Amino acid sequence: MKQRVPISLTVNGEIHELFIPPWQLLLDTLRDELGLTGAKRCCIEGQCGACTVLIDGKPINSCLYLTIEAQNQEIVTAEGLVEDGKPHPIQKAFVERGAVQCGFCTPGLVVATKALLDQNPNPTEDEIRIALSGHLCRCGAYVQITEAVMAAARETAQKEVGV
Amino acid sequence: MTLEEVIEREGYSVIGRPTPKKDGWIKATGEAKFADDLYFPGMLHGKLLRSPLPHARILHIDTSRAEKLPGVRGVVTAKDFPGILYGDFAHTRDYLPLAQDRVRYIGEEVAAVAATDMDTAEEALDLICVEYEPLPAVFSPEEAMQPEAPQLYDRAPNNIASKSEFHYGDVEKGLAESDYVREDTFETQSMKQGMLEPHACVGLWEGSGKITLWSCKSSPYVVWRHLAMGLGVDPGNIRVIQTYIGGSFSGGKQEGMPMDFCAVILSKKTGRPVKFVHTMDEVLVIGHMRHSMKIRLKTGVKRDGTLVAQHCRIIANGGAHASIGQLSIFLPGLGLNLPYRVPNVQMESYRIYTNTGFAGALRSHTQPQICFARESQIEMIAKELDLDPVEMRRKNARAGGDVTPSGFKLGTFGFLDGLDRVIEASGWREKYGKLPRGRGIGMAGSGMISGARLMSHSASSAQIKIREDGTVALMTGSADIGQGADTVLSMIAAEVLGVRVDDVTYAMIDSDVTPLDPGAFSSRVTLWTGNAVKQAAEDARKQLEEVAAQKLKADPKHLVFRDRRVYVRHDPQRGMDFASLVRSTQNRLGHPVMGQGSYTSGDEPIAVQGGYGNASPAYSASVVVVEVEVDEETGHVTLAGIWNASDCGFPLNPMAVAGQSMGAFTMSMGQALYENLIRIEGQVMNPSFRDYKMPLIVDLPKVENVHLFDIITNDPNGPFGAKEAGQGPGDGVIAALANAIYNATGVRVKSLPISPSKILSGLEESRSNKP
Amino acid sequence: MNYLRELPKFEYLAPQSIPEVCEMLAAHEGEAKLMAGGTDLIIMMRRREVVPHYLIGLKSVPELNFIREEKDGGLTIGAMATSWEIQSSSLVRQRYDFLAKTAADIGSIENLHVSTIGGNLCDGFPCVDFPAPLLTLDAKVKLVSQRGERIVPLDGFYLGYQKTAVEPDELLTEIQILPHNHRYGGAYIKFHDRHAIDITTTGAGAFITLDSDGQTARDVKIALTTSAPVPLRVKGAEAALCGRKVTEEATEEAGRIASEEASPRTSWRSTAEFRTKLVQVLVRRALRQAWRKVTTSSSSGAAPDLWLMHPLDPRIGENR
Repeated sequence: MKQRVPISLTVNGEIHELFIPPWQLLLDTLRDELGLTGAKRCCIEGQCGACTVLIDGKPINSCLYLTIEAQNQEIVTAEGLVEDGKPHPIQKAFVERGAVQCGFCTPGLVVATKALLDQNPNPTEDEIRIALSGHLCRCGAYVQITEAVMAAARETAQKEVGV
Repeated sequence: MTLEEVIEREGYSVIGRPTPKKDGWIKATGEAKFADDLYFPGMLHGKLLRSPLPHARILHIDTSRAEKLPGVRGVVTAKDFPGILYGDFAHTRDYLPLAQDRVRYIGEEVAAVAATDMDTAEEALDLICVEYEPLPAVFSPEEAMQPEAPQLYDRAPNNIASKSEFHYGDVEKGLAESDYVREDTFETQSMKQGMLEPHACVGLWEGSGKITLWSCKSSPYVVWRHLAMGLGVDPGNIRVIQTYIGGSFSGGKQEGMPMDFCAVILSKKTGRPVKFVHTMDEVLVIGHMRHSMKIRLKTGVKRDGTLVAQHCRIIANGGAHASIGQLSIFLPGLGLNLPYRVPNVQMESYRIYTNTGFAGALRSHTQPQICFARESQIEMIAKELDLDPVEMRRKNARAGGDVTPSGFKLGTFGFLDGLDRVIEASGWREKYGKLPRGRGIGMAGSGMISGARLMSHSASSAQIKIREDGTVALMTGSADIGQGADTVLSMIAAEVLGVRVDDVTYAMIDSDVTPLDPGAFSSRVTLWTGNAVKQAAEDARKQLEEVAAQKLKADPKHLVFRDRRVYVRHDPQRGMDFASLVRSTQNRLGHPVMGQGSYTSGDEPIAVQGGYGNASPAYSASVVVVEVEVDEETGHVTLAGIWNASDCGFPLNPMAVAGQSMGAFTMSMGQALYENLIRIEGQVMNPSFRDYKMPLIVDLPKVENVHLFDIITNDPNGPFGAKEAGQGPGDGVIAALANAIYNATGVRVKSLPISPSKILSGLEESRSNKP
Repeated sequence: MNYLRELPKFEYLAPQSIPEVCEMLAAHEGEAKLMAGGTDLIIMMRRREVVPHYLIGLKSVPELNFIREEKDGGLTIGAMATSWEIQSSSLVRQRYDFLAKTAADIGSIENLHVSTIGGNLCDGFPCVDFPAPLLTLDAKVKLVSQRGERIVPLDGFYLGYQKTAVEPDELLTEIQILPHNHRYGGAYIKFHDRHAIDITTTGAGAFITLDSDGQTARDVKIALTTSAPVPLRVKGAEAALCGRKVTEEATEEAGRIASEEASPRTSWRSTAEFRTKLVQVLVRRALRQAWRKVTTSSSSGAAPDLWLMHPLDPRIGENR
């Protein structure tokens, strides 16, 4: 049995050549090998959304995804949304709308929101709620989270029309 | 008075304005380091072996095979610890870092390993051989109280871990004089804290004997004491450093846990830092949960709804350890009828040991359970006497200035204001009894302490150091657990010193550096630590004032600190910038400008038995209305609207108050409708967020149907008038939902959670009762 | 109980084609496990309920991932089509909106992007959602091995709790749905405690084709989730409606019969009694919804341009 295999992983635009156990999950590779601890180790059963990252723009639970199967795809984490040291408008909206309390669910939510708004720039409130239904927030900031996503959607839309 | 009027009148420049959480940015970008995000060179991974049996004697533990496994660097059992019990109250202490000769619940920690990687650590656990002699186990408190039941501890006959009694007036007489007496039994379930961040820590034992624990602790100083106690070392050798905390809600994050002890002792053995992280199923299996309770409540009233007497008997499942159960069983008495005038009260409450995971504190420690019972029953009484439940509450409501028979001094208490707000805003009069079938509206009221006056160390303190650039280093012992302590305490300092919130840095708690504090629980931080911070900031400002008065040739009393400037009130042009004043003062003093403050709330006693005494410096009031839609064919409940009014005194940070209010609401909603830690023969059946169902975003009403109201009462004991906001707003929610469901369906559910199947059974029953 | 652990060690195989998968299955019979999306399998491996020596990943087999219309008008869905792809497919939405809705409501969005219809069918759990609506559509599955291939009707595919007709050397490659030549309408309705992502307490699917008289049901299919050890067709209830007008009373009656045919179990998750009551209600609702679709102009009522075909969206709601 091969204990480690060479893989190539593109994370936040950077290519990493790694030597990992084939049974390693993407969440563990991101955290333990690459030091990207924004994706959180929480329920590790795909029930909380705290480990959400994007694979080719799609939100997935990195606790249920083998790293070896994530090769040749673009992986984006919460850290990767920051551009030139500036937080993404979604991250900004979460902070300014009081959607961040303990913050453990926040990176996953921010990433899921990115996927939502990329696909669906003007989501209805129902669509926002359904899109984030796989994300637990025990601090109970759901109302603020919804408001943050709506605000981020408005801001992104304004940017696009150049307001 | 409105928020804006208070801000205008008092000239506040920082407080009262919605202020984003200071650490929001680094949390949103994933940069913030939580305990499991720490990696140290050479760090080992620890793992705990747990008891598979609910009750057994440990005859022998053989760790030799595990020790020989390549990659394993250390294995520990109870023998590696001095065998000293640790815990919170001297007479109920029963924790050990690892089980010594007996295990008392499934999941109890028996041994621990440290290995170079997690795979090896797990494999090592498989190789530890524990020989158990099974003992008869008992799982229900009622059975455990029987004389022939298995005994968990010699010190606790009939498995009574703790008991509490309250007695005011004459209940017998009160009940005899009542026109109507009603008795109901309510049952509440076991519920988990459910914080998303599992417990995690890194322990380091240096050769010098210095012990350091990095961990997500909401009460780092409690852990510091626990570690010293259980390890048998001087507290001075121990340093507890707080990491970012992914939610606490009390429980394991406010106590020393087996993982904490094992991390440091395995570090001592291996010479390396050792990290432990629970998996979520471990979190859900082990102790720390809300007490499940059977509450028998007997209430006597006059025909007009005046409450005369109340007798309450509580039996709570304490599980296998004491935890802070002595307090847990005292608190229901405290909140039993806090919002109402009841002259005759008696309560007996018992916390019973059983072979299940142990119970302790959880957000609003026992209050949601007691409110569920009381506020459900008030509604039933009103129905029986054909009274308006709103008017019945109004008639009995307490108000600011009241002193309760139990000695609580309610300085302010905005219950009636809250009641009026939610009744009006929710359209109660148009809805109650007038909604179509399947739709219902319900309400409940509650009262909450702002930090318990503990009869041990309960003071908070704060230190401020002003840097020469005019920025402020604020240190307290109160951890930010997401509730916004970092921000609100910084706002208080900024308000006093006339700087901006961003100018204040809020330190992580470090027992070697930051001041002593009981921790973040009991809704105490804003009031207690806030007062300490205010005093510390005033202390620093006083030093600055003296220098500024000389420089500006003004009376110190006439100086205004605002917007990073200091100026003369009647002549704002006459002023100087804050940073240059700080430098001048520092030069004059010869040391940085430093301020100190503390808050103790006096030493007036509280009787643990009998309960007499002022439990808290301030009391908040909440009134909540909810509207629900019930699918009468399936029993499924959908929450359609929320109107929640809470008297937080003064909302220092309205954004955080709203967050706390909805947080408390959502947690109680989970307890009301979904959550239930299910056990069969002591085995947790649903240790997974798949089956332990906490509310999701889709379970809440839409944004436009959520209405929160801050009732402003400006409590004289609070910093700038503030009281608690993090727990009270959730206390009445379970009862409000139960009442709304009754209003919608005619089904009264007295046991939690109010599941669809219970509602459906109730509907069928009422149908079959009707011809 | 088994606590969650790190994944067991395995040899990971990444086949590129169906023959390659079959070759691996034959070579490692009894030691290999196929992994589609992995959303259940990874947890089962963490709990050591499954410990394969070889893990054959199917994400690398492009020919398993498709949704296509056949020449005869039938619909074929590749085993590795994800729930997301099924819910977004205009082919699926136009023909079988309820199947798209089932896919959209399988779990969280994160789950939708990874879970596959093949994995869902092969799990063999009675609580998963795809089997019931597919049973009402008379779907068949293609099983391929080095020994050849065979087409197996989904009705009969489930042999027992977690037991399917798939032999150890076989791979389920596609799901086939034959064209329907009459007007039809379908629905799948499920119940769970919270408003999303929960395991299905009970679910009911109904599919009705309209007779040429435009008045009566030519054919009715009803299937249940979590109501027996296997996803269950309730043929007595179906028979009671065939050739009849689907009136309120008839659906009530069919619901009652279905609840007698169902044999849910009592577990700590729910009781047999409650599940039986739900069967009655959900079957009735599914039938009424399906009948409404048959008898109103469009057989798939939902707006095709919606981002997500989720039943919680009021634009396509109709949970009753």
